[in-house]
Amino acid sequence: MHAHDSKGLIFDIQGHSIHDGPGTRTLVFLSGCPLRCNWCSNPEGLWLRQRLMYKPLYCKNCSARCVPRCAKGAARVVESASRPIIFDRTQCDGCDSMDCIEVCYARALQPSGKWYTVDDLMRVFTRDRCYWGSGGGITLTGGEPLLQQEFVLRVLERCHDTGIATCVETSACVPRTVLQTVLPYIQWLFVDLKHMESAKHQDGTGSGNELILDNIRWIRGTNWPGRMVVRMPVVPGFNDTVANAEATAGFLVDIGLSEINLLPFHRLGTTKYEQLGMAYEYAEQAALSQSCLERLAVVYRDRAITCYLGADTPF
Amino acid sequence: MARTLTQIPEQSGTPIHSQAGGRASEKAVDREVKKEPCPRAKKLRDLYFQTFSSASNEFPYWYTRRYNQLEGEIPVVRRAAALKEAFSHLTPTILPGELLVMGKTHHYRGSFPMPWLSEGYYMAKEDELYKVALAKGSSTVDELSQFGNGGGNVTQSFGNVVSIAGKFGMRREEIPALLRTAREWVGKSVDDLGHKYEQMVPAYPMKEAVMRAIVCMFDSGFTLPQGREVINYYYPLEYGFDGLIHMAREKKAEVAGRADGDGWAGMNRLYNYEAVVLILEGIQSWILNYAKEARRLADFETEPQQQREYRDIAQRLDSVAHSKPTTFPEAMQMIWTVHVAVLNEDAISGLSPGRVGQVLYPYYEQDKAAGRITDDEVLEWLQLQRVKFTCIDCFASMGVVGGVLSGNTFNNLSLGGLTKDGRSAANDLEKLIIEAAIRCTSTQPTLTVLYDDKLPEDFLLKATECNKTGTGYPAWVNNRGAIDFILNQYGPEGMTVEEARAVAIGGCLETSPCSWLPLHLNAQEYWILGGSGQPTSVGVHFISLPKVLELVLFDGVDQRTGQGVYPPHGKKLESYEEIVAVFQHYFRLTVDCLTTTNNIQHDVWRKQNMAVFNSLLKPDCLLKGHLINELGYRYNGTYNVESCGTINLVNSLAAIKKLVFDDQAASLEDLKRALSDNFGFKTALEVGSFSLAEQERKDETGKWDRIHYLCLTAPKYGNDDPYADTILKEWENWFCRMCHDYESLYAKPMYACQISVSTHAPMGTATIATPDGRLSGTTFADASLSAYPGTDRNGPYALFESATVWDHSMSQNSQMNLKLHPTAVQGMQGCKKLLALTQAYMRKGGFHIQYNIVDSKMLRDAQQNPDSYRGLMVRVAGFTQYWVEIGKPIQDEVIARTEYEAL
Repeated sequence: MHAHDSKGLIFDIQGHSIHDGPGTRTLVFLSGCPLRCNWCSNPEGLWLRQRLMYKPLYCKNCSARCVPRCAKGAARVVESASRPIIFDRTQCDGCDSMDCIEVCYARALQPSGKWYTVDDLMRVFTRDRCYWGSGGGITLTGGEPLLQQEFVLRVLERCHDTGIATCVETSACVPRTVLQTVLPYIQWLFVDLKHMESAKHQDGTGSGNELILDNIRWIRGTNWPGRMVVRMPVVPGFNDTVANAEATAGFLVDIGLSEINLLPFHRLGTTKYEQLGMAYEYAEQAALSQSCLERLAVVYRDRAITCYLGADTPF
Repeated sequence: MARTLTQIPEQSGTPIHSQAGGRASEKAVDREVKKEPCPRAKKLRDLYFQTFSSASNEFPYWYTRRYNQLEGEIPVVRRAAALKEAFSHLTPTILPGELLVMGKTHHYRGSFPMPWLSEGYYMAKEDELYKVALAKGSSTVDELSQFGNGGGNVTQSFGNVVSIAGKFGMRREEIPALLRTAREWVGKSVDDLGHKYEQMVPAYPMKEAVMRAIVCMFDSGFTLPQGREVINYYYPLEYGFDGLIHMAREKKAEVAGRADGDGWAGMNRLYNYEAVVLILEGIQSWILNYAKEARRLADFETEPQQQREYRDIAQRLDSVAHSKPTTFPEAMQMIWTVHVAVLNEDAISGLSPGRVGQVLYPYYEQDKAAGRITDDEVLEWLQLQRVKFTCIDCFASMGVVGGVLSGNTFNNLSLGGLTKDGRSAANDLEKLIIEAAIRCTSTQPTLTVLYDDKLPEDFLLKATECNKTGTGYPAWVNNRGAIDFILNQYGPEGMTVEEARAVAIGGCLETSPCSWLPLHLNAQEYWILGGSGQPTSVGVHFISLPKVLELVLFDGVDQRTGQGVYPPHGKKLESYEEIVAVFQHYFRLTVDCLTTTNNIQHDVWRKQNMAVFNSLLKPDCLLKGHLINELGYRYNGTYNVESCGTINLVNSLAAIKKLVFDDQAASLEDLKRALSDNFGFKTALEVGSFSLAEQERKDETGKWDRIHYLCLTAPKYGNDDPYADTILKEWENWFCRMCHDYESLYAKPMYACQISVSTHAPMGTATIATPDGRLSGTTFADASLSAYPGTDRNGPYALFESATVWDHSMSQNSQMNLKLHPTAVQGMQGCKKLLALTQAYMRKGGFHIQYNIVDSKMLRDAQQNPDSYRGLMVRVAGFTQYWVEIGKPIQDEVIARTEYEAL
C-alpha cells in the first residue's frame, strides 16, 4: 500500500460512546498497532492496511460471484451451510484490489477499514459535537492511533483549533518524539499498560515494556496540563496476579499517579478473528471473576490509588 | 396436557413472571429486591397475570333495555338515561387487599361490547357463536390445548368460555343474551347508519377499494370514536358530584326556554343539562353500590386489618360519591372513578390521565405537611393505581384492538413540562410516580416526559433511571415542539402561549390541547390542568404510504389482488418529478374520500351517541351548555390524517431516483418486474414469516440479485445522507401542509399525525416488494422516524441528523424508537450520558424518542433476526463490534449478564 499522507485508515467510528473518556464521545478506531497482544479484542486493527473480512452470517450462498473475481484464486466454495466460502489467507492477505467485495451483493465481504481524509473525519465531528453534551468530545483509539502520527497530528490540531475536546488511548509503545508532537493537543490520555515484568510483557504482546514505562514516566515529568489515566486489561493467566498489581501500584506511586482503570478481559472479539481467518488463543477463555478484580482493586486502594473497575468510572 | 392456570399464560407466551416490554427470569426478580412492587401491588399484579380478559353483558343489556323504553325521547336525554341505567346496574366487585377500588365490569380485567356503535361483528359471527355456545363442554382439554398466543387474551374458545372479538372470554350461557342485545341494534348502530349515509359520497366506491387494498386500515367513527385525548378531572375535584348536579340544575332553570341569541342550538342547552344530571346520578349510584359492597364484605370479614380496610373503602366511596375530595387517598379514588366512568361511556383507547402528578400535587402537599401521609404510603397508592390501569381492556373489533393497538390501551401519563407562568412543572410527586413505575413495572399507565430545558437535572436523571428498567417508558417528548404545534393548530380557537403550556400527551403520542383551571383546597388556590380538546387520531386512519407508491407504479392496480383502486393515471412515469406528482394526486384522492366518509360516521355518532359524561368534564361544556357534539369543548380542531410506512416510502423514492433516473442503472420496467417477482424470493406468506430475516430465495438463477443489490445499497434514510434526507424533508413539507386542506365535521382544518402504532405489520403484509429492497409482505419500518431495520449503519448521531431535517412541529407528532444495547447506558455515568443524548435530539428539534434498553427479550430476538438489529452495538471500553456479529455462545453469556445486571 502506498503511503496515504493525507489519509488515515480507520476501522470504525462509534457515535455515543460512553466508556472511553469523559462525557459522551465519538470514538475513532485507527488501524495499525506495534503490539501483538494475544488477547486483543480488535484484531482487524492490527495492521495498517486493509484486510478482507468475511461474515458468513450475511453470506446468502449466492452463485459464488466472489470466487471467479479473485485474481489470486484464493477463494473457493465449500459445501458448508454455515461457512459457504473459504479464503486462502496466505494469498488473500496480500491483496490490495479486493475485487471480490464489489460483487458481494449481500455485503458479507468487507474491508477491515476505510481511508478517511482529515476533512472527512472533521465533518463527522462537526456533526456529532452537538450531541455530546457537556464534557464530551472525541477519543482516538485503535489499534495504536499514534502509529498514523501525521494524520492524527493534523486531526488533533484541527480539533484544537475548533474547540473539540480530545482524548487519545495509546499503548505508549511509540517513539518519544511522536508523543512530544501530539501531546499539546490532547486533554485526556489513556495509557494501556499490560505487565510490569518486561519478559512477561514480551510474551504477551511481542514487545518488552521499557519504552512504555519510560514514556509514561516522561509524560508525568512534563508540564502537560491534561489528565492521564493508566488502564490495564486484566487477562486471566497473564497479569491477574497480586504480584503484578503490587508492582504496577508501586510504579504509579513512584511517578505520582493516583488512579487506574482495570478492564476485565472479555472474548467478544472472537467472531472477528473468524471473519479474518485467524486463530484466537483466547476463544475458549472463561471470563474473569469479579472476586479476582476485587482482590486486585484492594492492592491499589491500599496504596491510596483510586481503582475503577470496567465501566464504573466517575467520568 | 393437563394445565394449571399458571401454565396457560406460560405456554401462550406471557409467563407469570413477565414484565412489560420484556421477560425477567424469576431469579433476576428475586435479586432486585429493592425494585420489587410493594406486597399489596405485587399480589394484585400477580392476579392480573393469572387472569383472562373477560367480557360482560351487564352494561349493554341495561343500556339497550332503557334505550328501547325511551323511544321518542330527545336523543341526548335518551342516551344519558340509558347510561344511567347501565351504570346503576353494574355488579360491584372488591378484592381483598385493594385500596383503590372500582373497575369497568365485575371481572378483574376485561370490558364489554357496545353494539350501539357496531354490532355487525357479532351478527356476522352469530351462527358460529351460537354453535360454540350450544356445544357440550366435554372436549375441554382438546380445546384448551389449542389456546394460542397472547397472554391473558382468550383467542380461542375453551371449556365454558367462548372467545369473542379474538381477545375476550365470555361465559357460554351469556352468549345468547349478547346476540339478542346486538340484534336490537341492527340498522341503528353508528356502523350501520354511518354506512347507509357514507355511500352517498360520490367517491364511496373508491373508499371501498382503498379499504379492501389496505391502503387504509379502519373506519374511525364507530371503532374507537373517542380517546387519544387527555381526560379532565377538574370539575369533580373542585365541586364533587353533588356540587355538579346542583350546578346543572341551576343552569337548567337559567336556560329553559331561552335561545339567548343562538337560533340553532341555544334551546338544546336545557336537554343537555338534563342529560348531565341523569348521568351524574347514574355514576353516583354506581359508586354507592361499591360502597354497599365494601360494607357487606366488612360484615363478613373476620381479619381485623382487612375489615378496617373494607370500612375505609366504604367511607371513601361515600365521600367521593357526593363531595369534593380533601385528602390524597380520596383524590386518588375520585380520579380513578372518573377515569373508569369515561371509559364505560364509550369505546375508547388512549384516554390519558395527562399530567396527573400535577393534578394531585395539592393533595400530596397538604397531606404531607399535615403528617397525614408518608411517601411510602403514596408509593403504595401509586403502584395500586398502576395495577388498576393495567387491568383496563378496550373492547373494539379484533382488527382494531389487535392490528392497531396490539391490545394496548395507551393510558399515557405525562410528566414535567411547564407551569402556567413558564417555570418547570416537575414536582416531588412526579418523582414518586416514576419510582412507582420502576418498582411496579406494568404496561399501564405508560409514562412520557415532556422535556424542557428548564426541567431540573435530578428529575431528568430519575426518568433516565426508569428507562433502564427495560420497559421502554418513559418516552421523551419535546415540550417546546409540542407547544409550537398546539399554538399553530389551536390558535384560531383562542389558544394562548400560557394555555399551550398545559399541553400533555393523549394516547400513545398524540399532542393534545389542555387548559389551566383553579382548584381550591383548604382555602388555597392551585392551577391544575386537564384536557380541553376533542379526541384525536380520529378522522383519516393510517394510510399506507408504500402501498400508495405501489399503486402509482402499477397504474392504480393493487398488485396483491389485481383489483383497480384508483383511476388509471396512464402516465409513462418518465421522471422522478412525475412519479411524485402522481403520488400526490393519488394521496389526495385517498384523503378526500376517507375524510368525507368518516365525517359522516362521526356525525352519526354525535347525533345518537354523543359523550355526556366526558363532555361535562371538559371546559367549557358545563359553562356553555353544549356538549362535544355542539362544539362545547374549548378546542375542536383535533381530527387528523395518519400515515404509516414513511421511511419505506422515502427509501423507495430515493432508490427510484438514484437507480432509474440519476444513474440509469435499471429501467423502471425492470425495477417493476423485480418488485412483482419479489426480487426472486418467496412471498412472506409462503415462508410463513413476516420477518425480513427469515425470507427464502425462490429463484436460484440470481437474475434479480443485481437490481436487488442496487435497491439495497441505494441511499437510505438514517445515515446523514442528504440524498435520502432531502426526500424526507420534501415529503414532510408537502404532507403536513396538505392536511390543512381537508375539513373535519366540526369545520376545522385537519393535520398530520405520524405514528404507526402496530399498523406497520398488517399494512406491510398487504404490500408487495418495495424499491428500497424490502420484500413482499414483510413489516414496514416502525414509527415514523425509526430507520428501516438494518439500514442505519452510522450510529445514533447520523440517525438524529437525518431525522431532524424537517420541522417536527408541523406535525402532531413524529416518532423515533431507538434500540440501545444495555452496555451503552451502564451506571450513573451511563444515565447522564443517555440524558445528554436525549437532550441533544430534543435541542435539534426531534419531537419524540424512546429507548429499548435492558430487555433480554430484545437481545434474544436479535439472535433470531440479525438483519433487523444490524446497527445494535455492544459497548465495552475500547472495543468495537455489532451485537449480531458476536457468536451465539458469547451472546448468551452477555444475555445472562444483562439479566443479572437488570436494574
